Amino acid sequence: MHDAGPGRMARRKIETDKAVDYADPEPSAFASMLGGLIDANIANSPAKRKDFDELGARVGIWVTDIDEGVTLEFHRGSLIVHNGLKPKRDITIRAEAETVMNLSNLRIGLFGMPVYYDEVGRGVAAKLVQRKLRIDGMLGNIATVNTVTRIFSVR
Amino acid sequence: MGVSAFSDEWARQFKDEVNRSSTYKSAAKGWKWSVGLVVEAEPDKNFPESKGVVMDLFDGSARDITVGTAADAQKCDFVITAPYTRWKQVATKELDATKGILQGKLKLKGDLPTIVRYTKASQEMTECTTRVPVEWPDEK
Repeated sequence: MHDAGPGRMARRKIETDKAVDYADPEPSAFASMLGGLIDANIANSPAKRKDFDELGARVGIWVTDIDEGVTLEFHRGSLIVHNGLKPKRDITIRAEAETVMNLSNLRIGLFGMPVYYDEVGRGVAAKLVQRKLRIDGMLGNIATVNTVTRIFSVR
Repeated sequence: MGVSAFSDEWARQFKDEVNRSSTYKSAAKGWKWSVGLVVEAEPDKNFPESKGVVMDLFDGSARDITVGTAADAQKCDFVITAPYTRWKQVATKELDATKGILQGKLKLKGDLPTIVRYTKASQEMTECTTRVPVEWPDEK
């Protein structure tokens, strides 16, 4: 008789050709929105698709004023969106809903760097200074932060 | 005294508020899509039939805002759907629309990158609804 034994968890294999998929049978509204946004962005932009194909990272996003979050598991060309924060994240972005939306509105400038000198960029930078936007793990993962920002950006 | 919620007179005053807003005018520059708001019925709140608000918005101004059926609103490029009580919470500033969408309290249909690009315009549009004095059917 098969016994998986204590402490072992069944792992649900996600078989799909889609670029973006969801780990949970009922993705949260936030998970659906972020997944949908990234799916549309990479479909509309070859540059974002290239970033997506090269990115391997686990990124958490926590929206502090609604107490909801997601974990984005990028696997170089595919993405699995999890409801909530999962372990072993490379970076975790924590901000209010409005700031999370503004992150998607950052312009991308020279050398693929986010632009922090226009109105939206200054607002995001101010939130970083005020610690209303926190990016845990940023110091060792600046390139990942910039790549994720480019993939998020609708600009 | 306020106007009846989601009535023709409410739509007219809402349109005037949108067109008075310089914030909306600049934030919505380039916008060229229709927006439908579906207000789902809640008979126990004295709101017995679903209604649809159809907003013809173009380049920073509201060309027309009308109230019709839910089906009318569902034909728009962008559709936001919620029960009557949720819309009341939005219009009375109890619920922030952006948070409501992220929480799934308001259901959004339409091209996500476009709506995200115009987040500021959407927020100001919500602000405009809060400036219209309303008589709510569940408070009569």
